[in-house]
Amino acid sequence: MARTAPMGSRTQLVQQLWRDRYIYLFLLPSTALFALYTLWPIGVSIYFSMLDWSGFEQAGRFIGFANYKELANDRLFWNAFRNTVTFMVLAVPLRVGLALLLAILLNQALPFSRVFRTAIFLPVVTTAAILGVVMRFILDPTSGPVNLALLQSGILDQPVNFLGQSGVALYTAVGVWVWKWLGITLIYWLAALQTVPKDLYEAARIDGASGWQRIVYITLPLLTPFTIIITLITVVEATNVFDLMLTLTNGGPFYATEVIDIFVYRQAFASNTPRLGYASAASLFFGICVIALALLQLIILRRIRQKPAETE
Amino acid sequence: MSIRRSRPLGRRLSVVLAVLGLTALCALWIYPFLWLVSASFKGPLEMFQKGLNLMPDAFDWGNYTRAWQDGGFSTYMLNTFLVTSGTVILVIFHCSLSGYVLGRYEFIGRKTVIGVLAATFVIPLGFTIIPIVDLSRNLGLLNSHAGIILALGGSGQAAAILLYAGFFSRIPKEVEEAAIVDGAGFLRIFFSIMLPLAGPVTATVAVLSFLAAWNSFLVPLVFTFGNPNLRTLAVGMLAFVGTNETDWSGMAAAATLSLVPVVTFFFLVQKYFVEGVAGAIKS
Amino acid sequence: MNSSKQVNVINRRELMAGVAAITAMAAVMGSRSAHAQEGTLAWWDHFQPLAELHERMWANYAAESGGVPVEHTVMNPSDMMQSLQLAFRSGEAPDVASIPDSLAVISQLLRAGRFASLTDAVSLDKPVQREALFDGMHIVDGEVYSFPIFSFRWHTTALWFHKQMLEEAGMDPDAGPRDWDQIAAAAQATTGNGRYGLLLPIQFTGRMEAHLDDLAQMAGGVGPIDWRTGQYTFAGDQYVEALEFLLSFQENGTLHPASSSLDARQGRVRWAAGEAAMFTDGPWNSGSLASNMPDVIDGIGVVTNPMRSAGSTMQVGPAAGTFWVTEQSQMREQASELLAMMTTDEYYVALAERMDQPPLDLSAVERADVHETYRTIVREYPETVRLAPEPLIRNPDIAQVYAQMRTVSPGLGEIIQGAFAGAVPDIRATLQEYQDAMTAERDRAISVARENGAQVSVDDWIFENWEQGTDFAPDQYS
Repeated sequence: MARTAPMGSRTQLVQQLWRDRYIYLFLLPSTALFALYTLWPIGVSIYFSMLDWSGFEQAGRFIGFANYKELANDRLFWNAFRNTVTFMVLAVPLRVGLALLLAILLNQALPFSRVFRTAIFLPVVTTAAILGVVMRFILDPTSGPVNLALLQSGILDQPVNFLGQSGVALYTAVGVWVWKWLGITLIYWLAALQTVPKDLYEAARIDGASGWQRIVYITLPLLTPFTIIITLITVVEATNVFDLMLTLTNGGPFYATEVIDIFVYRQAFASNTPRLGYASAASLFFGICVIALALLQLIILRRIRQKPAETE
Repeated sequence: MSIRRSRPLGRRLSVVLAVLGLTALCALWIYPFLWLVSASFKGPLEMFQKGLNLMPDAFDWGNYTRAWQDGGFSTYMLNTFLVTSGTVILVIFHCSLSGYVLGRYEFIGRKTVIGVLAATFVIPLGFTIIPIVDLSRNLGLLNSHAGIILALGGSGQAAAILLYAGFFSRIPKEVEEAAIVDGAGFLRIFFSIMLPLAGPVTATVAVLSFLAAWNSFLVPLVFTFGNPNLRTLAVGMLAFVGTNETDWSGMAAAATLSLVPVVTFFFLVQKYFVEGVAGAIKS
Repeated sequence: MNSSKQVNVINRRELMAGVAAITAMAAVMGSRSAHAQEGTLAWWDHFQPLAELHERMWANYAAESGGVPVEHTVMNPSDMMQSLQLAFRSGEAPDVASIPDSLAVISQLLRAGRFASLTDAVSLDKPVQREALFDGMHIVDGEVYSFPIFSFRWHTTALWFHKQMLEEAGMDPDAGPRDWDQIAAAAQATTGNGRYGLLLPIQFTGRMEAHLDDLAQMAGGVGPIDWRTGQYTFAGDQYVEALEFLLSFQENGTLHPASSSLDARQGRVRWAAGEAAMFTDGPWNSGSLASNMPDVIDGIGVVTNPMRSAGSTMQVGPAAGTFWVTEQSQMREQASELLAMMTTDEYYVALAERMDQPPLDLSAVERADVHETYRTIVREYPETVRLAPEPLIRNPDIAQVYAQMRTVSPGLGEIIQGAFAGAVPDIRATLQEYQDAMTAERDRAISVARENGAQVSVDDWIFENWEQGTDFAPDQYS
């Protein structure tokens, strides 16, 4: 990347742009698609968020920041916000941690590891909409296999209403989500583990380090950079649980599992009087929060990463 | 010496324990699918009456013929295949091109492009669907496979572009200098040298975009309102949910049908996939 | 490396090849755009049980001279609205659409000019048809836009039961539990051995709201709005009693525990499979059971009007238009001809035989080949269901208020769900809150509509000459 051209005049700039025309040609498809399908929709959503607009009318009425003001006082919006955050805080560490544990196990040359991997990957390739419906049967309080097994083995004497009880439904959703997506995180970790040099282990084993010690002192420190990126990806995915939640609980019972996606969907589509402007405002406001969260996470993790470097 | 002798035994024991533990875990993972397959053979009431017993009274293949023919799942399967493969090709095409120049060349605007890409990486794009529909209508792409493919492959590909950029930036420059001496041009260097070298990244991007497209729901849903013949499997599944009645066993059969190709596919490519991801994130 | 050097050595053939590839790709993608075929009429509705009947009629129509084939899409009611919303906006609207029963949505769309009036092909001159048409609802400026194919005389809160289970519990399987005390006793008597007395589709909030509205009236209430005062009645005793009645089944363990995560479709199958003795559902339960579970239906009985206070009545507003020709349609004449086929005596009989909502002409049920439960239920609806007034008919500007009124959340259905989930500790206070929120929202919508020039006030909801238990006749509007 050693291309520096002295830029004195406008002609030089034009010359440089012309000389690099193939670069821009290569960039064109991505930029065009990106502008059309990402930037433009975001821009339009910002405008929408300032409209009072039912969606049935051809155009809305401009009302400035009134939607945002209403949002700030909307109990159900903050409920959805809280649910999303709770979901994230519970589900992300569970998914990332469990996947790491499994990856360490599967990274050893175990028999059947390909079968295990495929099994755990199975839910990943299944459409969330199907899984939501299937899990409703599996978790049913009377005829669902989970409750039947728990009752018949005597672990429980009363069935648990996994999806129908306010206090339980969100945790159930966390469990189902981790179950669905664990496979892909497992693959990320397996890939990350392949980057750990084998001879390091060999050396540690000769030094008499136990399996645990090897993991704690060699594997985990080497995986730190991957932890950051895998966690970041998982956090972003945890904000997008729309199809699963819609088919699993539809946000119920009584808003107990209503995450932002469902709130927005309800405002925009699933109501007799759709409010596209209000829905746009809610999703934008939340989007900004996610970006802020991601930045914060990056900053904190960078700090942590720099510390051992300083002590060296 | 005694320690050394016991180690293989301990190792064997821990392997056995690990395999047992993993087997139990995988049973938990697979059970819902076994249930699904078993439900796909059961009668409409039998689904609720059998408790833990997975064996159907009789293997009722009628659910499958119903799903495949009346439910139109043969069409949905073809549509899903077209949409998924189209999306994968589109993503590889545009991301490799832009990743190549972003990773290998310094030019005016490069920093801006990377900055904007990184910023949108974390934005949840769920509800930009309304502007996307408007846009597609204006381009005449609503109710077409091309419209779905462009919407799926055109949004949220920052990660793929950055993966390519990272890979291309690490290829030693001697590679293309040799090619230039041989008289190869910009395009030939890319298509006959650089792109083949990027095989592992391409594999990763292909699998990830395959999964995203295969799982996608909202875009194919809203893009096919006007033309049910273009529906994909995920959307077609909704057809089994009627107004006052739902054909649960037909739905289970349809779901099982939709699983077969993708599970087979993953079982075959998983080795390359893991290696691809590893190769891609190695740096 | 130096990019300029590379660019200079690129050869023209490579460039042409690259450009050609991109152009070809774009061309291939563009040409795959497949709009609905020319010369077919797109018809969207949410009436799965009627699909077979309609498609058969349309096949005949397509074979006639001047007829066109119909491309039929059936959706479920909740998807229907979002599909239509996107379709209207994107110019992809079907020629004919059904609008899930909500006057607010219909009047919004009507006001926004989304519908086209019917042509002369449709004539609605039978008495039963003339009585069903109202200005502001079906007729605007003298033009007919739509008409109902269903009667208004029905409700969703019939009680369906397994006769054998009641018989085993020592109760009369033919009469069934006819009032709330008997229902509670029947629930107690049939619960046990993994079976429960009652199953409610609590996840389906819309259905639960309808059940509560009906039950409150079965307990003597006047309906969601008291037409004498124009006020909402959600905080009244009858609503509280009705909700407490529903909750009592959960408290004494006779409610099927899965109720809270079941909608009506799943609930029906589970009940029919014998997991519960009783189930609340509308008249279509007959049709659904007959087509999907023919072994079960003969063991089923129904109590059409499970009343608490004998002599109570249900107030139901005039039936809205079922199918609407959209303003985007290029085939209004053909669409009207198709709709005209839904006004004949034969059609009403055929409609009755689908055993869905009762046909506009209730007498058709007597002539039709239907299951005994359906005949019973349709025969008994007129005993209790009365025609309520509709403000829109007296003052068409009310449409603007309906268009402005936003959904109040949590709604009645969510409150019911919350009460079952243990999230609503004080029922009466919560219902009062809901009533206040509804009143405030209506006031807000009225003031917005007035700002936009509509001549409306809260008095438009008052009908002093309305009498509980009687049909509100058309001449009473003036």
